[in-house]
Amino acid sequence: MTAVIETQNLSKWYGNILGLSDVSLQIERGITGILGPNGAGKSTFLKLLTGQIKPNIGRVTIKEEPIWNNYPLFQIIGFCPEQDSFYGELTGWEFLKNLLILYHLPRTEAEDKAKKAMDIVELSSDKDRVIRSYSRGMRQRLKVAQAIAHDPEILILDEPLNGLDPLGRRKIIKLIKSYEQEGRTVIVSSHVLPEIEAMTQTIILIHQGKVFAQGNIHYIRDLIESHPHIVSIKCNDPRTLAKKFIHQDFVLKVHFGETLDSLLVETNNRDRFFALVPSLVVEHQIEVKEITSPDDNLQAVFDYLVGK
Amino acid sequence: MDRRTKQGIMNFLQSVKLCFSFFLSLGKKSRRTKVFYVISFVPILMALAIKLAQFFYSHRDISGLAIFSNMIMVFYLQFLILILALFFGTSLCSEELEGKTLTYLTTRPVPKSAIILGKYAAYTFLTIIMTGVGLLFTFLILNLDNLLDFSLYVLFLRDLVVLWLGLICYTAFFTFIGTFLKKTILFGLLFSFGWENVIQYFPGSTQRFAIVHYLKSLLKVPTSGGFSFLLFRLEPTPPGIAVLMLLLISGIFLFLACLFFSQKEYILQD
Repeated sequence: MTAVIETQNLSKWYGNILGLSDVSLQIERGITGILGPNGAGKSTFLKLLTGQIKPNIGRVTIKEEPIWNNYPLFQIIGFCPEQDSFYGELTGWEFLKNLLILYHLPRTEAEDKAKKAMDIVELSSDKDRVIRSYSRGMRQRLKVAQAIAHDPEILILDEPLNGLDPLGRRKIIKLIKSYEQEGRTVIVSSHVLPEIEAMTQTIILIHQGKVFAQGNIHYIRDLIESHPHIVSIKCNDPRTLAKKFIHQDFVLKVHFGETLDSLLVETNNRDRFFALVPSLVVEHQIEVKEITSPDDNLQAVFDYLVGK
Repeated sequence: MDRRTKQGIMNFLQSVKLCFSFFLSLGKKSRRTKVFYVISFVPILMALAIKLAQFFYSHRDISGLAIFSNMIMVFYLQFLILILALFFGTSLCSEELEGKTLTYLTTRPVPKSAIILGKYAAYTFLTIIMTGVGLLFTFLILNLDNLLDFSLYVLFLRDLVVLWLGLICYTAFFTFIGTFLKKTILFGLLFSFGWENVIQYFPGSTQRFAIVHYLKSLLKVPTSGGFSFLLFRLEPTPPGIAVLMLLLISGIFLFLACLFFSQKEYILQD
């Protein structure tokens, strides 16, 4: 399969700060997830892909054409930026329609497409409200709408699920997946692994401006599974729970927290650990107030993987 | 000119037109436009006050036309068109950067230079309407006694066109400044009320480095009124050359603005 998007030795600095370093990739049709903690360089990568910024070294080509100042390419590209910014004085409808007119579409066609996009993101009933009065989730859906409204062949979405409620997330995920079925190219970034996992198996892992890994999502899943996890449990009897955990071979450490009702458990098998917890709680009639994973985020995994 | 070049030019002009419509509808709704509409109507109130004073106190030693000319010189030429051009011209680029909306424009299939030209045209059009409406009512109020003297309308039209030329030229200059400077207002104020105000009074050719010199060269020098000293040492440029210079200055700064905007990388701050 030929690459739709290709980058060669792509590097970007913001003054002395490294944004992206020596990224050479080929992105094919289908959904590709860009995964990395906040500040890893995901947005820089997507801005370079969409010609928002110029690389210091290297090049980006889309369908074998350079992207920088190549405005006709945007007929086939839809981009949803990360920033929550709009022309606040406009209504959602005016915003979408006016942006569609910039595609050299006749007014009636622009209106048809705007209506269709509004329907897809379920904003039709609020289309005549000024954007300033929209909720965060509505603004996020409007951003997605402006990216898909002209029916692009390539869709680039920077953190599209930010600020959406669970239902909204599911709908956008479904929409993104439908694009894959239509044979389009979708690049979607996130710092939340399950979000990416729900959309695609193909991922690019970015950390500290470098591509850390590229390929199937199972690879990163395996890496994460081998990473010891810390689980915090707040309950009325942490000592009884600790006594039970200590005998398990998948529990590496048990600490008591600063407060008398908390317990920190380090495990190298999260699945087995979480399978055990409910039975212990029921058996010993322990009242659990909260179970959290303080290091259950991508940054912790990356720190672990890079040996910090 | 071959067919492809012709097609390219047509596409570019179409893109400019699309951007013009987009920013005209946006500009009409902006708070800044509303504020400046109010400011541009200040001369109407001033004209009303003057006319009422003349009516009640029977002071008619200064003609309506002379007062109108002084208002053009002092309020419009040395204040309003500068302020309008400064705030609309510099915001062309900066409001997209500060509002982080630039991405929506630069990811559309329109050339970056068409965005600048379309937005410039839309904002200049808005300011032209503002000054036009304000000036028309000011003129009518001040010349209530002579509304049937059609020669006055010729003078009015000339003054109006000169102010519009000023808006076109200053907005082009500030558009260019806005494409590469971050803090443009301070620079703009220094230019408008420093450079432009001082240089125009220099003797010899130096005054030709001020845009206002060419505008004043096109206006009739008021012979009465308390502000005639502002034209001290004006050595006018012939009208034809003055118009050409204003158009040339506008063209050069617009070209440079398009060039900068197309080539410069704008990084939106997170």
